[in-house]
Amino acid sequence: MKPVLAKWEEMTGHKVTLESGPVSGNEMITKYAPAFQSGVSPVDVMSDADDSGPSFYRAGWMEPLDEVIPQETWDDFPESFKQQIEVWHSFNGKRYRVPHEFAIGYTFYRKDWFDERKIEPPKTWDEVIAIGKEFTNPPVFGTMEALIKPALAFVYMAYLTAQSGGNVFEFDDATAQAFQFAYDLIHTHKIMPETTLSMDYTQQNEEYMKDHVAFMRQWPFFWDVARGNKNWYQEGRAEITLPPAGPAGAKSWWGGWGFSVPKFAPNKAEALDLIAFITNNENAPILAKGQSWFVMPRKSIMAVMGNEGLAVYMQRYAEANVPSPRPFHPKVAEAQSVVDDVASLYLTKQISLAEAMKQGKERIAALG
Amino acid sequence: MQRTRRIAILICLLLLPSVALRLFTAVYPFFNTIWLSFHDWNPAFPPQQFVGLKNFQALTRDIAVTGSISFTVLFVTISTLLEIVLGMAIALILHRAFFGRGVVRAINLIPWAIPMVVAAIGFRWMYDTQYGVINDLLYRTIEVKVPWLVDFWGARAAVIATNVWKSTPFVGLVLLAALQGVPQDLYEAGRVDGTNRVSAFFYITLPLIMPQIVTIGLFMVVWQLAAFDLVFAMTGGGPGFATQVLAYRIYQVAFTALNFGYASAISMVLFIVVGIASIIGLLLFRKVEVSL
Repeated sequence: MKPVLAKWEEMTGHKVTLESGPVSGNEMITKYAPAFQSGVSPVDVMSDADDSGPSFYRAGWMEPLDEVIPQETWDDFPESFKQQIEVWHSFNGKRYRVPHEFAIGYTFYRKDWFDERKIEPPKTWDEVIAIGKEFTNPPVFGTMEALIKPALAFVYMAYLTAQSGGNVFEFDDATAQAFQFAYDLIHTHKIMPETTLSMDYTQQNEEYMKDHVAFMRQWPFFWDVARGNKNWYQEGRAEITLPPAGPAGAKSWWGGWGFSVPKFAPNKAEALDLIAFITNNENAPILAKGQSWFVMPRKSIMAVMGNEGLAVYMQRYAEANVPSPRPFHPKVAEAQSVVDDVASLYLTKQISLAEAMKQGKERIAALG
Repeated sequence: MQRTRRIAILICLLLLPSVALRLFTAVYPFFNTIWLSFHDWNPAFPPQQFVGLKNFQALTRDIAVTGSISFTVLFVTISTLLEIVLGMAIALILHRAFFGRGVVRAINLIPWAIPMVVAAIGFRWMYDTQYGVINDLLYRTIEVKVPWLVDFWGARAAVIATNVWKSTPFVGLVLLAALQGVPQDLYEAGRVDGTNRVSAFFYITLPLIMPQIVTIGLFMVVWQLAAFDLVFAMTGGGPGFATQVLAYRIYQVAFTALNFGYASAISMVLFIVVGIASIIGLLLFRKVEVSL
């Protein structure tokens, strides 16, 4: 961000201090809600997650951005973003957050291993099992997914449910199918280790980079993590392919972080000016070139770097119609926690699939 | 008379800051929590509404809460018992004279000095089935690997063991101080009467340090009832609700869901549990004092 911030500092004479923030929506709420509830804000501009943003705008703690962000910035987003912006970045017809990240679960795979065996990465759930078995020889496993509570079990269950064609918050038949598939990967076919149920993303990535995983779903940040591991990374070790298709096709839900301005920002006028500046069509590509976290299918970004790095796969996913909308619930944090709990209970064999679906439906209904 | 009045005013003035602080940081939040527990209050879903006992009715049906209560009771009971037994053993060892005792006493405190979150994350890695050192040792010795943090009882055992590892040195330190207060001439008199080490422990040491054992036991119970950081960093309350404690559930409901009304109702349950534990502890303490 530094080059863009330096430009703004030079233009306005204001100084920007960068502060590292929480890495999840839950932590965003934990860190900022007490301050906002007290009518203060420790920051002027923040990068906010999908699972915290909606609670913040509903509570009236964020500044609407409609009059600050020019229409040409909104027009720079592809058509497929429009609905997501209306659902996740807006409330009561006002926009409160400008997306700066396109977080979709990519399928990373060991192209070197697949090439060696002269096989293609799995294209269907059946192939996930068949190919997974071929690679599994502990400590090497076909696939792996960090599933520790909180939040990570939800991520994977929502991903599989997108592929089975359901809505994970409805605990419908397709959700049951997704839960069953995850269970089978771990317990029936044993191509995913049971230990993933207590893993976080750091551990999952470590396992992959210890050559223990043939293919896995992971967020875009792994692209940089893998390539940043100079001692391990070689071309072909962390390539991206399309996700395997479930009954509803090759899908992966997407969401992401965005910039917003708290209503109680100490320097609100400057904050609003800054957010308009860093998200404009000129600066968005500069941010994207600096870090993969800012790479997204905005027209301005694709025009500059559409043929390089992660952007290539972003386009490939878009062309294959992979992106699926993030499942929405007005009480998103609580609803995600229900999915987390129920998945954890089921995948650790504490309850049956039928009980999991029943419990999930009842707890979601209780949220109102 | 005037001097007495002046002294009384001075006492009040001197006490005022601390009383005001306690009123503001303890009494007000307590009554506000009671008040909120009868309301539906989520800042993301205004307005705040009086709902009577609805939050309390809801928590009786909430399996996350009932599961949390059962593990909280188990966690606190087993942890406290183990900490006192092991802490006593450590105190007895450190009370004896041997070369390097000062260094050993300092080493004993290392686990207590490590921040709980650091210990929790470290143990999470150590318990890992694939590459954790605990399973590695188990496999090398008896060719067994236990999926500690994935298995219902394995995870509970792992969390309790980590907590005991972390807190026992502190209990040992307190009991060591208690042992140092036992007059040596009682042991000498006992030796004259023919007591051995075991009977001296049960008939001299234990009765004399019982008030300190009850005090530290009560302290650990209350402290651990509010434990949150260990579970937060080690298991996230999982698998399922196997290791979820009430304090962690309150955190989830209040600070990730912003459901302050319901979180307040769960807090009242925790308050009642702490209250019952405190009353039992105080009764025990009085009984011990009377018998001494």
